[in-house]
Amino acid sequence: MEFTLLFLAGAIVMLAAWRGSRALALGLYAAVMVACAATYLHHATDPLKLSF
Amino acid sequence: MTQSRAITLNAISLYAVALVLAAAFAAQLVLHELPCPLCLLQRILFAMLAIGPILNTRFGPRPSHYALSLLAAVAGAVASTRQVLLHIMPGDAGYGSALLGYHYYTWALIGFIAAIVLLAAVLLFDRQFEDDGAALPPTGGLFAHAAVWLVIALTSLNVISTLLECGFGACADNPTVYELLKRFS
Repeated sequence: MEFTLLFLAGAIVMLAAWRGSRALALGLYAAVMVACAATYLHHATDPLKLSF
Repeated sequence: MTQSRAITLNAISLYAVALVLAAAFAAQLVLHELPCPLCLLQRILFAMLAIGPILNTRFGPRPSHYALSLLAAVAGAVASTRQVLLHIMPGDAGYGSALLGYHYYTWALIGFIAAIVLLAAVLLFDRQFEDDGAALPPTGGLFAHAAVWLVIALTSLNVISTLLECGFGACADNPTVYELLKRFS
């Protein structure tokens, strides 16, 4: 569900960038990138099997 | 590089993003391979690469617009690097099938790094940030308009596709069926 919302938010940012104000697009972009980072941290839980 | 050339170049970059999103869709539909959560995140970040070019087309080229795409490219490179590292050990078959010897997340990493390099290269041309009395219409003409709407349409299709795949719950780590279709079949 979170990915559906992220794609939806991404499409809304694009529409804001194309039709809305620049400030609105920048604000929405920042919100989506924060949400992407949070989603990444939520899913990146598997340990990496690396040894150096 | 003049402002009008830069806007044309930005429109071409939007077609490149559209091509990546369409190729991911094609792999999903033709090979029946559903994208994993990290794969979906990489797709979203490819879509976010388009924000800079859309703003450049609408408001004219600005370094800050390129910076937005650079941030998305770096975030995408981080996500795809993690997925590459998850499958880097000898004997690990990787996630999904390979295309020309590389899995999709490896191609994604190459794509994000290429985007970082190209964005840095485009930023070297200062003349694009000066108004040249645009030979092109203010928002780049039909070529650029079509590119913007194509990327928006493909991102919207991903909203539907992801809703079908994940349903209203959390996406499966290793999805094999469309959860929403399964629920209603």
